[in-house]
Amino acid sequence: MNESIQQIKEGVIEGRHREIESLVREICKTGISPDTVIQEGLIAAMNVVGQKFSDGEIFVPEMMVSAMTMKLGLNIVKPLLTGKAGAPKGTVLMGTVKGDLHDIGKNIVVMMLEGAGFQVIDLGVDIDVEKVVATVAEIRPQVLGLSALLTTTMPEMKRVIEELRARGLRDRVKVMVGGAPVDAAFAEKIGADGYGRDAVQAVALARSFVGH
Amino acid sequence: MKATPYNLFMSALYGGRKGIRPPTGNPTSIACVELMKACGAFFPEAHLNARAMADLALAGHELAGFDTVMPEYSVHQESAALGCEMDWGNETRMPDAKTAPYADFSDVIVPENILEKPSLRVVLDALSMLRREVGGQAAIIGKVMGPWTLSYHMAGTQNFLLQLGLGEKDKINRMLRQLMPVTIAFANAQFRAGADAVVLADHATGNLVGPYHYRDYLLPIHQEITARVGGPMILHICGNCLDRLEFFAESGVDAYHFEWQVDARTAVEKIGKRISLIGNLNNPKTMFQGTPEDVYKQARYAIEAGVDIIGPECAVPLTTPLANLRAIPAAVREGY
Repeated sequence: MNESIQQIKEGVIEGRHREIESLVREICKTGISPDTVIQEGLIAAMNVVGQKFSDGEIFVPEMMVSAMTMKLGLNIVKPLLTGKAGAPKGTVLMGTVKGDLHDIGKNIVVMMLEGAGFQVIDLGVDIDVEKVVATVAEIRPQVLGLSALLTTTMPEMKRVIEELRARGLRDRVKVMVGGAPVDAAFAEKIGADGYGRDAVQAVALARSFVGH
Repeated sequence: MKATPYNLFMSALYGGRKGIRPPTGNPTSIACVELMKACGAFFPEAHLNARAMADLALAGHELAGFDTVMPEYSVHQESAALGCEMDWGNETRMPDAKTAPYADFSDVIVPENILEKPSLRVVLDALSMLRREVGGQAAIIGKVMGPWTLSYHMAGTQNFLLQLGLGEKDKINRMLRQLMPVTIAFANAQFRAGADAVVLADHATGNLVGPYHYRDYLLPIHQEITARVGGPMILHICGNCLDRLEFFAESGVDAYHFEWQVDARTAVEKIGKRISLIGNLNNPKTMFQGTPEDVYKQARYAIEAGVDIIGPECAVPLTTPLANLRAIPAAVREGY
């Protein structure tokens, strides 16, 4: 691997947020394609970060700093992309269900999805079923990710899926669910397409849904 | 030893003589809608009215059959007193802070009369009522939030974790040390008010931060807290904390209240000789969605593993069936 790309990759993994912008600027001047910088530098770094998180080597604070670093680098290189090279891997709509205000887990998933090259639209917390379904109808994401941290709000996930079905939208979007009280059995019971135990699994699911 | 709920719990808390059966205990809330209906004390009143708070705690002992009464249900009594704008929730929704008054990590101003703030005063008054009504009969458990949890509330959890990731050690330590006196003062006040033990809830959870974060930032603070608090403390930290159990055993607490994600046998093997263990029945699957038989099986597993005091892993979901809560005392009544 090109040494400069390796530096960018390591910079993101190590969360060197103060250096990343100048590193990326410099490498872009050398003629290496912006897409290569993104795929082999920035996104590849976040794959490593995700693995380290799954392995329990790093935790949420380090992951957040790496995601922040990646985004700073991406902001420098993205304007240089041309044509289809800049296209996101897919669009993911994310939100925490009605009645639930917890968002850290969801926010980590958003960061990791963006780090993996997805366009993410984050509806926030406490979102109505109607708002979720209307947004799916409007922006046609490939993936819908729903988060719940309370056992009392888990049923909202089922309501969303039922409403998507009622509106003829169910087949047009893959639904993944997550959150502390949720598990694979619950996901299957409510007719979701997948369950992500953590942000890394959520990214893997999203990738599988869009065919990467 | 007389087999009273108080004796059984307190002896187990100190790793002392075993009685005819294991004790049950709830370092965290067992309030649920069915219990509220059964005793007539509901959320949100039970967070802010001492009589309602005490009545709901008594119901945990008299109606659900636990050996303990624990009157603090929310994690926001201190944050309300420190200036967070609160949504006190309802029967099916726990309170939540709407603001984080120190998101900029400016110096935390702790009011001199903080123990007189309504959200703290109510806990102290409820503990005194419980002391008068069941003192020496059921074990009275108080609860305080530790400086880590309070920092989440003051700065915003995500903001705090980001600063931690950025290596802002001075910022983090300063906030922790400015909040530590609140934890110590409230804990000591709870003992004076009538608590037999006080839970130190400090959410450096395995799902968010690493064992090295606990070791480097919080362990010295917990050691200082336990040295300056008069009575026995029970540490509550959520999540899979298998990788940091030994640190907890060094913190100076007398017991660790742990979650289902840590296997009971493993926890006992690792630290069971050093501090007592309380837990660890699974909430979402077993207490909430399971049957009394499921609860019974998990309780027996914990007993046979050597867990000292049996109870749910964390605050139970508010729509947990009362029958499931009662299945825990039913399991311990069979003895060891």
